[in-house]
Amino acid sequence: MMDAAGSWLDFYVLIGYFAAVVGFGLYFGRYASSTKDFFFGGQRFAWWLIAFSGISTTVGSYSFVKYSEAGFTYGISSTQTYLNDWFWIPILLLAWLPIIYFQRIQSVPEYFERRFGTPARIMATTFILLYLIGYVGINLMTFGKALQSMLGWNVYTGAFIACVTVSLYVYAGGQTSVIMTDLAQGITLLLVGLGVFLAGVWHLGGFDSFWSLLPLDHRFIFSEFSAPDRFSFIGIYAQDGLANTGAFMLMNQGMMMRFLALRSVKDARKMAICWILVLAPLAAITVSGGGWVARALMENGELQTTASDSFVHAARFLCYPGIYGLVLAALLAALMSTADTLINAVSAVFVNDIYRPYVRRDAGDRHYLWIARLSSLLTAAIGMALVPIYMRSGTIYQAHGMFTAAVTPPIVVAIFLGVLWPRFNAKAAMATMVGGGALVLLSMFPPFDRWCIAPFSFGMGPDSYDFMRALFGIVVSGGIGVAVAFATKPQPIARIIGLIAGTQKDAMRMFKGAGDINRTPGSPAWLRVREDASLEASPEDALLPAEAMAVMTANQGDLLYVCDRRWWLGGLRSIHLRAARVAPDDCVHISPQAMKDAHFADGDTVYVEKLF
Amino acid sequence: MDMARILPILVQFGIGALLCAVGIWAGLRGGYMDWTHPEDKRLLVIIVAGYLGLLILSCAFTFWLPFLPEGGLP
Repeated sequence: MMDAAGSWLDFYVLIGYFAAVVGFGLYFGRYASSTKDFFFGGQRFAWWLIAFSGISTTVGSYSFVKYSEAGFTYGISSTQTYLNDWFWIPILLLAWLPIIYFQRIQSVPEYFERRFGTPARIMATTFILLYLIGYVGINLMTFGKALQSMLGWNVYTGAFIACVTVSLYVYAGGQTSVIMTDLAQGITLLLVGLGVFLAGVWHLGGFDSFWSLLPLDHRFIFSEFSAPDRFSFIGIYAQDGLANTGAFMLMNQGMMMRFLALRSVKDARKMAICWILVLAPLAAITVSGGGWVARALMENGELQTTASDSFVHAARFLCYPGIYGLVLAALLAALMSTADTLINAVSAVFVNDIYRPYVRRDAGDRHYLWIARLSSLLTAAIGMALVPIYMRSGTIYQAHGMFTAAVTPPIVVAIFLGVLWPRFNAKAAMATMVGGGALVLLSMFPPFDRWCIAPFSFGMGPDSYDFMRALFGIVVSGGIGVAVAFATKPQPIARIIGLIAGTQKDAMRMFKGAGDINRTPGSPAWLRVREDASLEASPEDALLPAEAMAVMTANQGDLLYVCDRRWWLGGLRSIHLRAARVAPDDCVHISPQAMKDAHFADGDTVYVEKLF
Repeated sequence: MDMARILPILVQFGIGALLCAVGIWAGLRGGYMDWTHPEDKRLLVIIVAGYLGLLILSCAFTFWLPFLPEGGLP
């Protein structure tokens, strides 16, 4: 994959980067004092912080190598997988997100339980856990292989170091540490990837020279509709634009937890827009740019490389010692930021979908926090145990890939129809998952692959089947789901209010608890915060001066967000409260417990914003 | 006209328009999204602008920019 590392200086930069990430993650561990903090970062973060941290999760373990390879071989069409996400944004922001946020749904299996019943939850939990834990193992193995290529270390040593590093800070701070370390890693990734690309363009004499050096068929944003078989537009679109993006938006537990870590749905809108419209295209250039530059350098007769080594060779060609160490650190950042999100996601699914409902139902939050920490360690350990199995048995590695390809389209279709179509009931959901999954699995074995997928392959050969299987999966899962929904009785609407499109406003009312939804535009109020012992019995309440209520156009009972005045903390010191009574002075009064949870000191200046 | 280059734009933005329409319909149904509210109106404008911006970008990198080094349009 990659060849050996650069100088000792690069090695020290790499080690320094490791130490900084662990230290950073451990420092933010002090902000995790409840399961809400551990899984959802206290639901307090600003949109820009989550957008940057989300991008490092999006840039997965193999992204630099995989996309640079595609960029080297096919040109700028390597970015097409990052440019087809926008079309899912309305469904995410206007249907799915309000439902999970206002219904306080913590995992995809929990949605299945409330929408379709317990059997659907058990099936979804099994599928998602198998997928996530298997993927933790794959990430650790990838990390070990990367370190082996860079530093010549044994694969197991590299995987073990990654396992210990990531599990240390996930154990300490859960989602808060994951978000803060991923923020730093996301910025590193973007700076380094863009830096390599721009350095290459500058070396070649500017954008005109770079562009002219690329062969003509490398300058199109899309590959041809049905050619080549392994990189046709329709294959990439079916697999990535429909199945994978749908899965990323609707069933990715890690991204779902990021959205739930935001302070409000309004911030979720800003985050999604910034992420898809600004950061994702930048990430596309970040991961592909090395391949494009390597191709232009090769056409110019300055570099000899292969597609799979193009990123590392271009980086070594362009970077001074020490800077190359940062490039290696960015590669490792891509690996670590995916593994930490997966470990935290497994822990959330284990606690919320197995331990809490089936093992110990009524324990205190401290107990569940302890279990969450333990399950993080256990997940990392199981992931580590899978590394030698994957290394020895390619079949198990392939089996995980086949399993993932088989379950993704049916679950995405079940959520999609479950959210948008009230008639889609429990029987239809089960039939979609079982029937769709079984047919996709069957399509992986000859001669069924040809019988099933050839009609969907637009005349392409067997090399396209891995891609076109996604389209087959969506069509058969959707067909089964719709047929069973029409053949069986729909659920009573009263049972699914707040869980389907058209009832998001009801979910909002349930979230608020009392009073009407107040969306009258207003401005934030800047006030000093005061600890008020009289609020000890109702720690969710806040007292506000009448003028501040008028500025915010807030009414008694409205939900408020109170945050430290320093925007660059990204909401780390903040809390959600409810407007109770009028304050006796010009300060915002909050309970001692709320002061502690928000990390405020008496007399701090804060801004108060009405949510609804 | 090379249909192998035009079809990707038609498919991506055709199915994309359908997905966007479904999402906006899901928001408007039941009144969660309110045309008259400034925040919702801004979101709708951004969704449409993002769609059009990507369409323009895709057309530029299909019909114009690839041919610039050879002197312009194909």
